[in-house]
Parts: sequence; C-alpha cells; structure tokens
Amino acid sequence: MIELNGVAKTFDGSIHALQDVTYSVPTGSVCALLGHNGAGKTTTIKILSTLLRPSSGQAIVAGYDVVRQPAEVRANIGTTGQLAALDWQLTGRENLVLFGRLRGMRRKHAQLRADALIDQFDMSHAADRRVGTYSVGMRRRIDIAAALVVPPKVLFLDEPTTGLDPRSRRDVWDLVSSLSAQGVTVLLTTQYLEEADVLSDSIVVINEGRVIASGTAEELKSRVGFSYCTVSPVNPTDLSRILDVVADLEGAQADRDANTVSVLASDGVATLGEVFRRVEQLGVELLDISLRKPSLDEAFLRLTGSVTA
Amino acid sequence: MTAVAALTDRMVRDSLRDDLPFAIVAPAGNFVVFNFALRNVIDTGGMSYPQYLLPVIIIQVMLLGALTTIDRAARDHGSDFGVRLRTLPISTSVPLMARMLYCLFRGALALLAAIAVGYVFGFRMDGGLIYATAFAVLVLTLTLAVSLGADATGTGIAGAGIAGAEMGSSGGASQLLLVPQLLLVMVSTGMAPVDAFPDWLHPFVGNQPVSQVTETLRGLAIGHVAVSNLATSLAWCLGLLVVFGTLAVRMQKRTQ
Repeated sequence: MIELNGVAKTFDGSIHALQDVTYSVPTGSVCALLGHNGAGKTTTIKILSTLLRPSSGQAIVAGYDVVRQPAEVRANIGTTGQLAALDWQLTGRENLVLFGRLRGMRRKHAQLRADALIDQFDMSHAADRRVGTYSVGMRRRIDIAAALVVPPKVLFLDEPTTGLDPRSRRDVWDLVSSLSAQGVTVLLTTQYLEEADVLSDSIVVINEGRVIASGTAEELKSRVGFSYCTVSPVNPTDLSRILDVVADLEGAQADRDANTVSVLASDGVATLGEVFRRVEQLGVELLDISLRKPSLDEAFLRLTGSVTA
Repeated sequence: MTAVAALTDRMVRDSLRDDLPFAIVAPAGNFVVFNFALRNVIDTGGMSYPQYLLPVIIIQVMLLGALTTIDRAARDHGSDFGVRLRTLPISTSVPLMARMLYCLFRGALALLAAIAVGYVFGFRMDGGLIYATAFAVLVLTLTLAVSLGADATGTGIAGAGIAGAEMGSSGGASQLLLVPQLLLVMVSTGMAPVDAFPDWLHPFVGNQPVSQVTETLRGLAIGHVAVSNLATSLAWCLGLLVVFGTLAVRMQKRTQ
C-alpha cells in the first residue's frame, strides 16, 4: 500500500511543488494521479520512489518510510519513466536481462525471466532489436516489463500511455488491470480523465501541488458531472439563440470557436433529450448533438469550483 | 557485485559500435602522425624517436579517453535510465564502479593497441616482465585518476541540470577540457626534451605531471628508472586518484 501524510516539497525555498498532500492507496488497488503538466504528479512519484526527499510530511510505500527506509522501499517497487527508462543502445532482451541482474539475479536466471516476460508481453518478434528502433508502444511495453522483472509490491507508472496509439493504450490498460488482479498496488499518473476512469479504483486530482479532489471514479464523476451534452447548429449565428433556451440548465455555455453550446448532462441521455426537444421547438437546424466526457479542464473547473464553494 | 558486472557489461555492449573501436584505433593514429611529423626534427639523444614518443602517445589517448567518461557519467546521471538506476535496490556507488571498470577495460585495450603499434615502428619493452607490469599499472592508475575527475565533472553537469545534459550531450564540457589536456601534453617533455622549450618555461615543462609520468614510463620500458622521478610520478598519480576519487564519490549523492 501507499500512504502520504501531509507531504510537501519545496524547491529552492520558494517553489512549492507539493503542499500538504494526503491520501492512501490500498494494497492491490490502482490509483490514478490526475493532473495537468506541472501539477506535481511526477514530483509525487519521485518522492515515493526515493528520488526526492519530501520537505515535510511522511510517505509510506509497501510498509516502509521513504526517508528512513529507502533501501527497503527500493526493494519493493518498480518504476517506469515517461520516455521509457531503458538503454536504447541495447536490445529489448538485453535490457530485461540487465535489470534482472541489477536486481541480483544470476545471468542464467535473468535470461529465463527475460524470455518469460518477452512471451508475456508478446514481444518475441522485436526482442533482439535495439530499443532505439522500437515504436513508442513497443518501448513502453519493454519499459513496463523491465519494472516487473522481480514482481514489485508497488508499481509506479508515470504517464504510461502518453504518446501511444489507441491500440497500444488499450494494451497498457489491460496490463495494469491484470497486475492489480495479481495483487500489485499501482500508482499511475495521467492527464486523461477517461484513462483514470477506466483503470483506477481511486482517483486523486492534483492541481498546482495540492490535492483538489479524491475518491472513486464514481464519486468524482458525480461531482464533476458524468458527461456534457454538446450541440452544434448548422448556422453559427444560431448559437446565442440555442444558449438562450438552455441557459437555465446547469453548466450551459457557448464556445464560438468550436461552434458549440455545451450543457452539463447530469441525467445523461435524458438531458440530451431535453436539449434536443428545446432546440427543435426553436426550429434551429442542427449539425450535431452528442454526449461527451468532460475534458480535464472542465473537470478542474468543476472541482476547483466545488472546493472553493 | 552482480550489479557492477551487469552495468559494466552493458557499457561494453553500448560501446562496441562507437567508443571501443575508437579506443583501439586512436593510439595508432596519434602515434603514426606524431612519429612521422617529428622523428627527424627532434633530437632525443641516444634513444630512437618511437621509443621516446610512445609513452606520451599513451598518456594522450588515456586523457582523451577519460574525456568520454564525462558524457557517460552525465548520461547515467541525467537520463531516464539513470534515474531508474537510483530507484533500484543497489548502492549509489555501483554505477560509478561500473563506469570506472569500463574505463580500465578501455584503457587496457588502448594500452595494448599502443604497444602493438609501437612495436611495429621499433619501440621495445626491454625491462622484462616486472618493469612491463609496472608500466601498465602506472598507465592504468593515471587513467583511473583522470577518469574519476571526468566522472565527477559529468555527474556535476547533469546534476546542475545544465541544458542538454539529460540527453547526454554534455559535449561542451569535453570540448572545454580538451584545452588543458592538449596544453599539458604539448607543453611537456613527452614529445621533445626540455631544451626544445624556452628557458622561462623549463620549470613548468620539467615538473608537470605529463612530463614526469612519461619520463617514468620511458624508464620502465628500458628497464631502469630514477627513484626520484618514480616517486614524483607516483605522487602525482596517487594524489590525483585521491582528490578526484573523493570528488567523484561525493557527486553520487542520490536524493535532494
């Protein structure tokens, strides 16, 4: 499990990268750390993986204090890097053998383990090519495999799907789910609400170094609003008329650049039906009407709003 | 120890395509160029010019080789791979030890290559096995000392977050350190006896480490060496080893 208690990190005495971060991730569950670039996600992971010392507060990983027992923490974690923390000059197989030996395996044992991981990650076609020649998705797979050479109790994945095509992203998602089913505690960072939603048992939203919301995906969704109903008129001049008729609905706003009016669809399809009925009565011709997930920006807006309210 | 072996093995594999071939070719290149350019210009008394020149060529390629450590250390420290190393249950000194083992391996290859090319042009190891071994040990001690200095520099560059260091392109520092390195080699008695330099330079030329060490190596090659010169060379090598070694170890701090 992972526990953070009032963790803060200040750089150069004045840059507050993290402030009073408190949350816990139960054993065997997946927690998504959701936030924009620079929100403090990577700083959190660095503290938990003993790369940075917290300025104050306490962090426990797999039962060990990251400041007082860093060696024990390191023995129980697996980490991956945003850009694939591998030796790009070596082949995928050589990387896996290397990480096995770095964790104290004999060469023969490390080779067997590498073979098993290559099979498990479906990489046998590329295992003997240099990592530098891999696609982003393949690199990511070997990167995660390298973190699993010795099965860790806690796995940190820093933006594991950034830059991946939808299929590779799906592969990583499946992998994370299967790891969690095997009892591995996973903390991953992401900028995508959808990813946090699909993958994680709990979500921690951080913004400017502070936790602004945490809970299960369901809890957050009920706070953020499950989805938005978006309407596009054929004629952009109709935007303001549409906005007028839906103005009493929650979260109604027009985006002139995108030629859309959005309404928070708290009742899902029923909201869509209501919006459609009103616009139809108006006699405006529609290009499109749809339900969509809130963007991270909208989620933040809602969450920061609900915190200050 | 498995970890050190694994990382050293990794560095050798990484370098098979670029650094190691260079390490082997460099002594021949340097030796041939300087030998042909200077052999009829410089009067080295009774000693043949190849016999006189080879020690400084060896020092030259060792110094140049050490500069490649800057990039390796910066990469190990600043790259994602290096960051991951610091999350593994291994000592912080493991990557440093692996880099130094690699430097010694590289140095040994370069030394063998240099002696081989020297033999082609008439250089001889006439002092017997013990002197030859002492020759190799002195060269490798100096290599280790200078590599430790280069390692501390590279780690420092990456640690200071100087732009580009993460990508391993700390080429600027290697370029900069080329200057003192070249000066030390050129303004030494490695290529020409001290009389070839203006009088006011004599104290520097005669006593600086490259001059002292090449003089010792020449002595070890022919089988007799002045004790005072040997002591000076050892003092230089061991002194640099301690100073740079302390620095390099201190630079390996893990967390901020």
